[in-house]
Amino acid sequence: MNRDRIAALIGKELREFRANPSAIAPVVLVILVCLALPFVVLVLIPHLTGESLAADPVLRKAVSFAALYVPSLAGLPPAAAAEAFLFQQFLLLFLVAPIVGAVSLAAYSVVGEKQGRTLEPLLTTPLTTVEMLLSKVLAAFLPSLVIEAVGLVIYLSLVGVFAAPGVLQAIFNMRTVLLVGGIGPFASLAALQATIAVSSRVSDPRSAQQIAVLLVLPLVLMLVGQVAGAFVITTTALALLMVAFAVTWIILLYLSVALFQRETILTSWK
Amino acid sequence: MLSALQLTRQFGSRTAVQNLSFEVRRGEVFGLLGPNGAGKTTTLRMLGGLIFPTSGTVSIDGTAVSPRNADALRARIGFLTETPGLWEQLSVADNVLTYARLFGVSRPHEAVEGMLRRFDLWDRRADRVVLLSKGMKQKLALARALVHDPRVILLDEPTANLDPQTSRAVRDLIIELRDRGRTILVSTHNLDEVERLASRVALISTRLIAIGEPRELRRELFGRRLRITVVSLDALVHAAAVATRCGATEVIAEDNSISMSLTDPDRDAPAIVAALVSAGIGVREAKDEDPPLEDVYLKLLDAGQQSNSRTVESMK
Repeated sequence: MNRDRIAALIGKELREFRANPSAIAPVVLVILVCLALPFVVLVLIPHLTGESLAADPVLRKAVSFAALYVPSLAGLPPAAAAEAFLFQQFLLLFLVAPIVGAVSLAAYSVVGEKQGRTLEPLLTTPLTTVEMLLSKVLAAFLPSLVIEAVGLVIYLSLVGVFAAPGVLQAIFNMRTVLLVGGIGPFASLAALQATIAVSSRVSDPRSAQQIAVLLVLPLVLMLVGQVAGAFVITTTALALLMVAFAVTWIILLYLSVALFQRETILTSWK
Repeated sequence: MLSALQLTRQFGSRTAVQNLSFEVRRGEVFGLLGPNGAGKTTTLRMLGGLIFPTSGTVSIDGTAVSPRNADALRARIGFLTETPGLWEQLSVADNVLTYARLFGVSRPHEAVEGMLRRFDLWDRRADRVVLLSKGMKQKLALARALVHDPRVILLDEPTANLDPQTSRAVRDLIIELRDRGRTILVSTHNLDEVERLASRVALISTRLIAIGEPRELRRELFGRRLRITVVSLDALVHAAAVATRCGATEVIAEDNSISMSLTDPDRDAPAIVAALVSAGIGVREAKDEDPPLEDVYLKLLDAGQQSNSRTVESMK
């Protein structure tokens, strides 16, 4: 693989996003929702209703169950532990957000080249298929990652300001690092790669977008299952999950290369 | 050098190109002619390593193109595709710069500036492509195809959408590239352009119908003809009779000249002119008559298609 060619194509994709800022709008919008939602649920509503989160028996049970696997929760008062537990669960939204947002960029990337008749000239260059598809994925991934990182810093800052004392410190643990630094990026890459693979086989970007739902679904189930107290995913399980997403991404990268039929695209697509 | 040997390309049961062989030499402009659907674009794509022949071989500088080495060999080729295919939301400079980097040009910014200046687009370098006229887009596509100074150049309708002045500039550039030893293949419908640029042409209609220098093809089809312009219109009939007596055949009188076919013009032409002058007919001009390349094209194509039909009939 030639890094200069990959950098050249990523640079072109990013300049196109810059020329068309509305393409990034879905990512920004989803991150804003992810930022607002936890504070509405965990800070605003309890404040307006006067009901403590710790008063909910289902939540209390889920928190005490989680405290068995997350020691930092055990040292907190019940209300703060409930807040810390939920703020950590809401971090999962930051995994889903870049996928949902960036998928529209990825879905359009190959179909868009076909529709704009720009694919054939691109295929006249020495760019290999794997370089092209990797560049497309990274170009959709990088802006969403930056936006996600900015959103995360704001999120944690707001937790520090609005949450009970000790909650922010309780959130900073290996689980958070694995979720945000490992599972999130690799799940995004896998989802985007799957989207790109489909994008190179269809003529409508909407068809490509639907595939990402398949990868978002397990993450959403993780959030719902843990909040409901059905299960707690341990740090080891999270590490394994991260590896699984990384392997899935690599497999999907090679699968998308195998699915990308230059000749069919050039000769059959009108 | 670029060579095609026995190229055949099928798409399912349809044969787009059949047993096509030719070579384009270093420092040569080669014209590829053919009607719509003749397989020109398929041929160009095979030559450019974008698609591969069902059978046969494409070679660039002696190296056979295969799926294994096509990515690397494409670095030697500059390919102007049928549609400009520019990134409309990017600037003029960014379009060319991205390609310069994809082709690994060592000083990409300098190469981009050189190309944009060459095509009078330097002043528009910051403009988005969507704002350019069709002609400017075509010029930009050419700049993009040539930014890496390729050794082999494939041009699909290079002067489409260009005004006469820019067309001439493009033709001058092609001639300059030829003189610098580049191997150039031009696919076009513009016969006048082929006439001006190409030292040899190939006419294809799925298979090769004819190949050679335009002048050679003319002579093969129409023989060598002479046109003599006389001073007085009244002498035209008399002049035709004198020419016929001197061995000219297919003598046609029109306007104030007679056109005739000669077996050996180098021997017969001076004799006919002398006979006309002796007969008291004023001769203003005598010159070789070249039928338009369009006539050659249509005649060859007609013959080729009849031959195709015969082949299909015999296959039935």
